[in-house]
Parts: sequence; structure tokens; C-alpha cells
Amino acid sequence: MTQKTVAVIGGGVTGLSAALELARFDISVDVFEKSDFAGGHAIQFACKAADRCVKCGACIVEEKLSQALQDPRIRILTGSRIEKISKAERFSIDLNQKAEYIDAGKCTSCGVCSAQCPQDGAVIAGVSKSHLPFYAIQEDKCRYLADKSCTRCQDACPETAITLDATATAISREADAVVLATGFSLFDPKNKPYGYGTFQNVVTNLELEGIVRREGCALKPSDGQPANSVAFIQCVGSRDAKLNHLWCSKICCGSALRMAQLIKARQPQTQISFFYIDVQTFGSDFQAFYRQVQGDVHMVRAIPGDIFQSEGGRLKITCVDNQTHDTVQEIFDLVVLSAGLQPCEQNIEVIKQLKLNVGDDGFVDPSTANGGEISGGVFAAGTVAGPMSIADSIASAGDAALQVIKYLEMGEKPI
Amino acid sequence: MTGKTLLIGNGPCARRIAEDLVARNRGILVATPEQGFDISPALAAKYTAETSMEILTETKVISCRGSAGNFSVALKHNGKTRKAAVGNIVIAEEERRIPCFSLYGLTPASTIISLSDLKPLVPEPPGNHRRFAGITSMVFLSGIVEESNPVIMEEIMAACLKLQTSEKLKTYILTRNLKVAADGLENMYRKTKTAGVVYIKFTDAQPEIVQMEDGRVRFEFVDEITGDFLRLSADLTIVDEKIAPSNYATELSRIFELDGDPNGFAQRDNVHRLTVCSNRRGILVAGPARCVQSISDQYIDAGNAVLSLLEQERPASDQGVEKARIETGKCVRCLTCYRLCPYRAILVNTRVAVAPDACERCGICVAECPRGAIGMGQQESSKPLVLPAITGAKAVKDDRLPSITAYCCSRSAARAAELAARLGYSLPPGLQVVEVPCGGSVSLGHILAALNGNADGVMVLTCHEGNCHSEFGNIYARQRVDRAKALCAAIGMESGRLVHRTLASNMGIEFAQAVAEFEKQLLEMEPGRLKTGKK
Repeated sequence: MTQKTVAVIGGGVTGLSAALELARFDISVDVFEKSDFAGGHAIQFACKAADRCVKCGACIVEEKLSQALQDPRIRILTGSRIEKISKAERFSIDLNQKAEYIDAGKCTSCGVCSAQCPQDGAVIAGVSKSHLPFYAIQEDKCRYLADKSCTRCQDACPETAITLDATATAISREADAVVLATGFSLFDPKNKPYGYGTFQNVVTNLELEGIVRREGCALKPSDGQPANSVAFIQCVGSRDAKLNHLWCSKICCGSALRMAQLIKARQPQTQISFFYIDVQTFGSDFQAFYRQVQGDVHMVRAIPGDIFQSEGGRLKITCVDNQTHDTVQEIFDLVVLSAGLQPCEQNIEVIKQLKLNVGDDGFVDPSTANGGEISGGVFAAGTVAGPMSIADSIASAGDAALQVIKYLEMGEKPI
Repeated sequence: MTGKTLLIGNGPCARRIAEDLVARNRGILVATPEQGFDISPALAAKYTAETSMEILTETKVISCRGSAGNFSVALKHNGKTRKAAVGNIVIAEEERRIPCFSLYGLTPASTIISLSDLKPLVPEPPGNHRRFAGITSMVFLSGIVEESNPVIMEEIMAACLKLQTSEKLKTYILTRNLKVAADGLENMYRKTKTAGVVYIKFTDAQPEIVQMEDGRVRFEFVDEITGDFLRLSADLTIVDEKIAPSNYATELSRIFELDGDPNGFAQRDNVHRLTVCSNRRGILVAGPARCVQSISDQYIDAGNAVLSLLEQERPASDQGVEKARIETGKCVRCLTCYRLCPYRAILVNTRVAVAPDACERCGICVAECPRGAIGMGQQESSKPLVLPAITGAKAVKDDRLPSITAYCCSRSAARAAELAARLGYSLPPGLQVVEVPCGGSVSLGHILAALNGNADGVMVLTCHEGNCHSEFGNIYARQRVDRAKALCAAIGMESGRLVHRTLASNMGIEFAQAVAEFEKQLLEMEPGRLKTGKK
């Protein structure tokens, strides 16, 4: 096979896994990641092990990113958005490459820029040791980019690594095949009656992952104190006929219950309640895990109607317990919404340009997308085709990589 | 690494792998204990034209020797044994179904059948009503006593949908947690409800199940939604099944010395084995031989298996890297290395040797060899792996602060240390991180050498149990720390100078906390006893 290039759209665990598999066949791979940091949602997940590994897969994402960065055959472009993608003989991809405000070669991750920045959220930090530069400037928040009123990060950077006048560039790439691994977006629960966005201590599952990663335990965002009682509300934005979200997000039961067990191990005094419809099976020894968790966590088979703020900023959950038929009122320090996985709207344009089939649910048609060829040379993998775990995403990426290789070989000897 | 592939199995996963390999004209030997290997028409056409595939039916593997690229497998057919030389092996055995009659206190009968028994009765195309003559109500039991899975639930829903719509039968599904975590299943659930399928879900209580003399089954329970006491009689009761590995898959995992899982699957759920790897290079485990899978999962596994086989034809990524080697002069054939190698890379013939293609450089054998006869790379066999680095612990300006040597697993703790530094945590000034390939490569010698080399305390930081790439390296590390602690206690030294902790690669703050805590603990003690040059 002559030297081939594959474009992987999306630098999450699926895209990175596919890139690594393809690179092993000496295929040159460009990974286009729209955000500032590679690794997708999964790189933000916390390890859920107390003593024993609970097979959440978070560490594997870390490993994949590290390996992909070290592989000379893989180039990861963060901050790159696809403007146009078309296919003639090969694929042509036009991208908008975000300005390089921070020079990765100079940045030493000292954090002075973040400490100096007066604007909340304008300098964000990475989460992985492989995130280089470890900080990124957010264009919609930065004061300099709005009205040139502040240059504190640039002035303070001891390495002169920051150039606030840097500009975005238009770049073009060509590829012989495309792997679509644009992933999912997390359901935004602001329209649910849980006070998300209003009550500081109502957070999403992904936000709790971030808190545990940063702090090592479950702290309340309002005051940074440990939460003594935590509620997990499942199926927020999943299995919801009103939203026409007729799918199970698959990963939330596992991640919430593993997280509950981690919190129990690290903060044993914490009371945890779990509000659910049905507990989904995960892991190889679910029966034993479930038995254990039922002893440690208060399982309530009901989805709360709403959440009110009670004294001291605590949160009151009201629901009807399906078993006792009583109205249950419980008060919590922290409420975690298990926000579901949904199709990522930002990628609709790319999916259209690639002429892919999208199902009624908005995910790329799973009957053709599990690594299967949808339109010549385009292969979908991972959660762009529907919710799946880290392990399933890696498997999906492997299968897609094989389909890519078969396709590229076919091009080599036309029948 | 080249050579023929031995493919063991006869299900959708195995057939897909065979098709792909035959299409690539790749040498393949199929062995199945069953009577026929059901090949697709496409494969059959290829099969007659190609000679690269050989199919052995009613054949079982009885033993295996060698290592990746060079396996010698003994196969038994009709009481005769034959040998085959293969480069790699794929275990893609089908699943085994165990009907859950006894869990519900039921005895199989014409009116009480398993889900698999039902399958041939559900007409295809629909409309053959006579099969269910005299039957109006059917009850499906799933996951009431033991938790089930979406693979079973999908089969139940699909059957109910057909029976309810085409056969005009009344179907009930009694379950605990409705398992809908599969593509399209929640949608199918809605469809079945529209079609009239009745779901009765239990939380803590269970229905009372009585098998009546006429073969019908009576269910009595309190409905959790309405609180009403209800009684339901089923003309036909269908019980769910547990999905287990085939007995042969479990046997194969023993024959091939794989680190199987406690349920008998041939792959342990170690995340480092994703997707189809085993603890042995050149041996893959795909499909229902490794975990509970749907048909689409099986095809994805097949793709991953073929991909791995193609990869194995290419030079290994660690080619040229020096692997463990045994010094013949020192080796007394105690077979400690053979016993402990997680990758089964030790070959025992007239002499004991390491198969370089199978060795993953974990260093467990190096640490454990009682004769110091095994070396790896620059490391001298009789000396600990990183001795030059630890002959002097890190000098601390303020000599009241302790010197800490932290042996960190390269996959987990060493990465966590990097993250901690990047996150800007202030780490103890006397901390010296020594990266080791696996926690299991840290020998007693390492620990003592660090103490001898001026460390006030030694940490051995490994992956969490169940996460070690070398399966048990972290456990060996813990055991060695325990042994070293006992030695310390025997000479009157505080055992608190030694610690084993587990960390994941993304645990930056936890790393910082662990070393800070250890530093504090050491500050409460006198400087290390073996420390020299300090007043």
C-alpha cells in the first residue's frame, strides 16, 4: 500500500484509538479536534477505584492520548474546526485553526496566566499531563479579544509564550479516507425542574467528575466543603418521551454507582441516595457489585419531580416512592444529575457534508455506522452513532480502523 | 510475526473472522468440537477456490506449547491426535445458555420453557397460529432473582412484539430492572408497550410463583404502582437464561494458560486487554468467549480480531528492545520465573529461556529470581533494576526534611506524578521518583538499596488491584513491601518508613496527597537509621 492519509474527525477516545490503530499500519493520520484539549469527554473522567479497579476505563483514555502524541505518524490538531469537507478523488478538508495564543513549545505549565487573569473562565486549564500547553485562552471570555483592555497574562508569562494578537488561520488538508468520531454532547439540564444553573450545588455528572479530579473528593461548589449527603438523579435527558429521547445513555448507571462507591470510600460519613428508573447492568460481576451497592447507597426507584432550596442552601428533593407510595422528602448537600448522551448539534453540518444517514434520534444510523461504510471512504465510530462506554468506543474504533484499511486497499487495486 | 492462524469457534464471530481472513488469502486452520462449521455462501465459494483454509470439525485442542509466532498445538479428532504449527490463535467460542428454571422454583414442562426453546416456535414469517393452540397468555420472567442483561431483554421484547401483534397473544414481562442499555432497545420497549405488552416491574419484592398441576403457572404479587394485589395465570411461561462462556472456552483458557475471569470467560476484564487481547501475545479472545455480547458486539469483536492479526504480521512496536534474558550459568531451573510470568513468556526445554516475542518487559521475573539469574536491557541480572539511580537518595537542602524514594509504575503512578507537577502541587523537596516498568519489578533489593542509599522512606506506588498490565505485579509489589516491613521491624526500624499505595495515571491530586502524607509521617520519626552523612 502506498502512503495513505486518513483524517480522523474528533480527538476523543474513539478518534485517538482509531488513529493509533491506523498508525500501526504506517498510515499517516490527522486528528482534528475542535476543542482546546484532546481526549474528549472521557479524558475528564475520574478514576473510580477505591482499592480495586472498577473498569471505568478512564486510565486507558489517558494512555491512548499519551501514545497518540508520541506517535510520529499521528498529528493532533486541537482548536481546529471543519469548515468544509468534500470528496473528489481524495477528500479535501478546509479547517479553521484557532489562533495559537499560547506557544506550546515555550509553555511550562506554570499557571501564571491563569492566576493573573481577572476574567472568570478566560484561561482554562487542561486535565491531563498530556495537555500541552496546559492552559488555553477562551476567545469568548478574554477581555483583550473583546476590547483590548487587558494583557495581564501576556505581560506576566515568564516564558513570553503568550501572543494575544495571534490570529486564526485557514488550513487545508487532504485525506484518502475519513473516520467520523465526533462523539456526543451532554444533555443540558437547564430546562429540567432541578434548578440546574440556579442552585450552585446542583451539578451534572461531568461536573462532578471534574470536582473529584481536581479536589480528590466530592465538594460542594458553593463553599468548597465536603458534601455530607449526595443525591444522584438518573436518566436526566435519557429515556424521556417528552424530549423524544427514546434511548438509554448506557453509561450513567455504571458511572454514577461507581462514583457513589468512590465517595463512600473517601468520605465514609456521606449519605448517598440514588434515584432511578431501572439499574442497567455493567461490568463482569454486576450481581456482586449491585448487592454491595444496595447496602451502601439508598436506592429510590423514582425520578424526582423537582428540587427546592431549603435552609442553608441545602436542596430538598420531593418524589413519590414507587414502593411505599409515600411522598418522600429528602435534603441533600449536593445533587448530581446524570445527564444523558445526545447527538452533538455542532457536528450536523459535517455529517451532512459527508452525506451520512442520521436516524430519527439524531445519531448516525447505527445499522450502518458500527464501523461500517456509509458512503465511500467515510466511517463512523464511537458515540456519534449512539451512547456507548469507553470500552465499547475503543472496540468501535478498532472495527472502523479495519474497515478503513480494507477500503484503502481496495483503492489500491480497483476491481 | 507470521504463520497460520488457529481459529477456534463456530458462531457469528468466528465465521466473520474466517471470512475476512480467507478473503485476504491468509492461512487459517479452523477447529471446532461441533459437527460442522457453518460457513456462509460467500465463504463457501472462497473455500473451494482457496487452499489457505482448513476446517477440522469434532476437533478439540488438548495442549499448546511455544509462544507468539511459534505455537505448537495438539488437536484431538476421533481419538487421534495431530500437531499443528500456528503463528497465532483466536478463541471465538460461542456462548452457553443456562435456563433459570430453578431460580424461579419451576420445573421445565411443555408449558414452562426457556427463551431458547421459544425461539423456533416464534413463526418466521409470522402468522402460523397453530403453534400456540390453546394458549392465550404468555409470561416472560427476566432478571427477577438474578440481574439479567440487555441481550436477553432484546430477545424477549422482539419475541413479545411478534407474538402480540401477529399471533394476537397476550404477553406479560415480569422483571426487576428493565435492561435497555442497548442500541434501539428503549425505542423497542415503547413499541412493545404500544403493541399491548404488559410490563410488571419489581423492586424488592418478588412474585409468588406456583407451578400448578395442569402445567399452568400462577403469579401472585402486589403491583408496585397501584398497590393492588394481583393474580396472573400463564398458559405458557418463558424463563430467561444466563449467558455463560461455553465449557470448552473455559477449558481453552486453562489449556492456553490465559488469565480468564472468575465466571469462566477466557479474558479477564482487565482494561489493558481491550479489546480482544489476552495476557499472551499471539492469543486473542473474541466474541462471547470473552464477555456477554450481542450479535453486533460479536461483529465488532471480529473486526478487532482481524485487525490485531494483521497487526501481528507487522514488526512489533517493541522490536529491537532488549527483553528479559536468563543467564544459563546461574539458572538452577527452579522455575520461579515460569510460575510467575504473567505473559507466559518463559519456555522450559532443556534449558529455561525467555521467548522475546512474548516478553512484555514487566521485570517480575528479574525481581523474583532467587538466583539473580535474569537481566533485562542495561540492567545487570544480579542487581536491582535501577540501582545506579538509587545509590544516593535525593539530597535535600534542609536536612531536616526527609528523603523519599518513590518507585512508581510507569503506567500509573509515574504518570500521576507528572500530572501532579503539571497541576502545580508542591511536592516534597526530598522526593525522588524512580520510574519502574511495573510495580512487580520492585524487588526487596530495590527497597533495601533505597534505604541503604540514604532514603528516609520508600514508597512503592502501583496500579489498583485488577488494573495491572502484568495482572499481579501490583500484588507482588505489595507483598514485597510487607516483607520489607517485617524485616525492618526485626531490626527495630519503623515499618512506617515503607508504604505501598495504589494510584491511577490520572490521579494528580491523589499522588500529591499521598507523598505529602508520607512526608509528614516520616517527619514524625528520626532520620533513617541507615542514613549516612547526616548528623
